[in-house]
Amino acid sequence: MAYVATRGGERAIEQAERLFRQDLGTIDAARVETIRTTMPYLVDRVMGEASLYDEELAALALAQTGGELSEAVLVLRAWRTTQPRIAIARPVQQDELLTQRRISAAFKDIPGGQILGPTLDYSHRVLATDVLEGKPYTPPPVEASAIPAPSRQPSLADWQRQQGLVAPANLAEVAPQDIPDLTREPLLFPASRAHRLQSLARAETGGVLALGYAAMRGYGNAHPTVNELRLGEAEVVVRHPRGTEFCAGRVRVSQAEVTSKEKSGYLELGFAATFGWNEVKVIAAATLDLNSAEAPVGSAMHEEFYLYHTESVEASGFCIHFKLPHYVTFQSVLDAMRDAKAMKAAATATAEQTRQTEPAE
Amino acid sequence: MYNETPAGGPGHAAALNILARARPERLKQFAETLLDTMVDVSVLANRTGLVMVPMRDTVENVDFHLGEVLVSEAHIADGAGHVGYGMVTGRDLERAMAVAVVDLHMAARGEEPATIHFLMEEQAQLAAADALRMRQVEATRVEMETF
Repeated sequence: MAYVATRGGERAIEQAERLFRQDLGTIDAARVETIRTTMPYLVDRVMGEASLYDEELAALALAQTGGELSEAVLVLRAWRTTQPRIAIARPVQQDELLTQRRISAAFKDIPGGQILGPTLDYSHRVLATDVLEGKPYTPPPVEASAIPAPSRQPSLADWQRQQGLVAPANLAEVAPQDIPDLTREPLLFPASRAHRLQSLARAETGGVLALGYAAMRGYGNAHPTVNELRLGEAEVVVRHPRGTEFCAGRVRVSQAEVTSKEKSGYLELGFAATFGWNEVKVIAAATLDLNSAEAPVGSAMHEEFYLYHTESVEASGFCIHFKLPHYVTFQSVLDAMRDAKAMKAAATATAEQTRQTEPAE
Repeated sequence: MYNETPAGGPGHAAALNILARARPERLKQFAETLLDTMVDVSVLANRTGLVMVPMRDTVENVDFHLGEVLVSEAHIADGAGHVGYGMVTGRDLERAMAVAVVDLHMAARGEEPATIHFLMEEQAQLAAADALRMRQVEATRVEMETF
């Protein structure tokens, strides 16, 4: 069989793209701004998976892809490659976050206390259909406290270390420019912890949830309890040419620690963080991190499995490429199928002929 | 490009922190008033780019990359060799340039009353916004009772 090169369809392709974009209508700055201001959690999810923090661009990506998340993440990641890297910021530390939500399911009384922050966790999930009947929903105002919450909250894991509950951890002094970086080098296994956590930070939310959920349901070896969940804003600290460190702005981040059981006298902990406020993703990702150490090779909790299969652009790209012409490949399948059928038919005919020519007993 | 000269001290950091988060329109208007008094200013860079943000894992204390933030940067200098620099998150080259203009003005002439007034106003506005938000956050603090 020979390869058959084909061409054609240029007009159809052109019109197909036009049809897609026609259905979305005119995209203007007002639409982008509406998406940015009214759907912050969707924007956060896209920024996290794109590994690029800019609310305006993420909203634009959602607008021009009609909310097709895989396409939105892809177009943002592609745009990212057009930009030079100017600097590496000072590493964000947990106890420096402007913390707006911090809860623990493992310890009731944690230093700094538990702050629910913005959440629907304890709400009835009722669709406000009155809005569709002309009655706008205006949320009741928050009854603010007289005093503000502390802008910073202590690290629970550090407190647990002081209590002897969590294993000591020495800081590995790595210069920012030497931190392993998946955008500059391939993911190899066993992965460094820096690669694993970076990969989870940019992983596809649904994929992480599916695999993390599998671990939670019993396919993993560790059932998680949230040690600490934190939503906050991190300062992007950069350096002025004169050497002065300053904050160029803030970004929303989520992080989770999950724990399971005692091992070698200490509580085991799993960790994950991401850009934007995305609790489900970091809890599921931390669960995968927690399960990794004892996961059998080939299981969904093994890092090679979950890191490869939660990479958004590669996964969606591989999936949608099956829509593209595979005529040569498929033709060979058809040829093999026809050959098999012909051989089977020939064998059946031979057997029938043999049976008819055999003398009766 | 960094560490060209010694750090500008804590006052410099505080001023830059305020400028980077100042209200954009007020910042640009203020920078325009300063620019009228400045001569021989050359632009070394005014561009968008990325800043990689690392984070420290709390379990093993390992630094890893969280992702990149889009920033706008402006780097300017005057004939006497003073440097002005601005970096802000987001895609707004004018805002970054306005920060750099104010920074250059401070480097060349110190913090004049108008600059101090502007910085104090913006600092008060930022502090008030943070305080309001954190008072709302404090309202969600859980006081658990044990039965």
